[in-house]
Amino acid sequence: MHELSMAQAIVDTVIDAAEKNNAIEVVEVTIEVGMLTMLNPEQLKFLLDVIVEETILKNAEIIIEDVPVEIDCRGCEFTGLANTDGSDHYLAIVVCPECGERNVEVLTGKECNVKTIKIEKSDEDA
Amino acid sequence: MHKVAEVEVQHDIMVANRKLARKNQRILDKDRVFAVDVVGAIGSGKTSLIEAIIDAVDYQIGVIAGDVISKYDAGRFEKHGVPVVGLNTGKECHLDAHLVEHALHDLPLKDIDVLFIENVGNLICPVDFDLGSHMRMVVISVTEGDDTVEKHPLIFQDADLVIINKVDLADAVGADSDKMVSDVAEINSEVQVIKTSLKTGNGFNEVIEAINGFINEN
Repeated sequence: MHELSMAQAIVDTVIDAAEKNNAIEVVEVTIEVGMLTMLNPEQLKFLLDVIVEETILKNAEIIIEDVPVEIDCRGCEFTGLANTDGSDHYLAIVVCPECGERNVEVLTGKECNVKTIKIEKSDEDA
Repeated sequence: MHKVAEVEVQHDIMVANRKLARKNQRILDKDRVFAVDVVGAIGSGKTSLIEAIIDAVDYQIGVIAGDVISKYDAGRFEKHGVPVVGLNTGKECHLDAHLVEHALHDLPLKDIDVLFIENVGNLICPVDFDLGSHMRMVVISVTEGDDTVEKHPLIFQDADLVIINKVDLADAVGADSDKMVSDVAEINSEVQVIKTSLKTGNGFNEVIEAINGFINEN
């Protein structure tokens, strides 16, 4: 159940960024979740909705964007989107689409990134 | 009327853990401690395997025993006369680099050659959390079913050594241990897979040799 600790870390990050930018409210949060993380976006969203109560982002729309897996193949030097066995978020086994090699360097797909937030500022700060 | 502004944050929670993991490795390297992250299913024999290794080798071992309630495993290791820190994860299903850093400060690292970090029994969550160890050993057993590997592929993708334990029970539980070996090879063609039984001693020396190989390479 590590979605809960990740959700808490996301909320802490958003609150920190909001305070630094003198926000009075956060209206939107965009999070990127890599397909190779063991995070279930639905669970993450549910937990975020629960733990934002009483915070500056309690009314924010939470947008979760899947990040596909990009690789550098050690077999054939292919760089780009990997084939992922099965489209299930949890079972994204990485295979080079060119040569079928599984020994690859993963470039993207392991992130849980707070990408942007949209905030409201008071007129004086705007 | 308030103005709405978009703020670029770009803070990756995973990167934050990886940075802490790298810091842990620097702490370990400073005192020349080789660390093994031991992950595996509940009841696969992680604790028993580490206990057997403690008794079999002549280098100094330390243990971080991570568990939801860690005192049981920590108590077992203490009986072998090695330094142990128990890490309670409470509701969490994995160790993370931050927790491990705290434990490192409580261990006599100068007196330790090899540190085993026993993770919480779980084949899913630890995938996301590098701890700063030098190798990751995955321990599963035939009693979890011979489909364990194909159902949890990601943990095997980054494994440095895979142990398939309790092979003496394979027939009793109707498990095909060769299938488990080939399933690992399918996911990670480079990793060494060792079939063991701590009861019969089968494969145990190979485990010691494999770990020694990694220590010598480091």
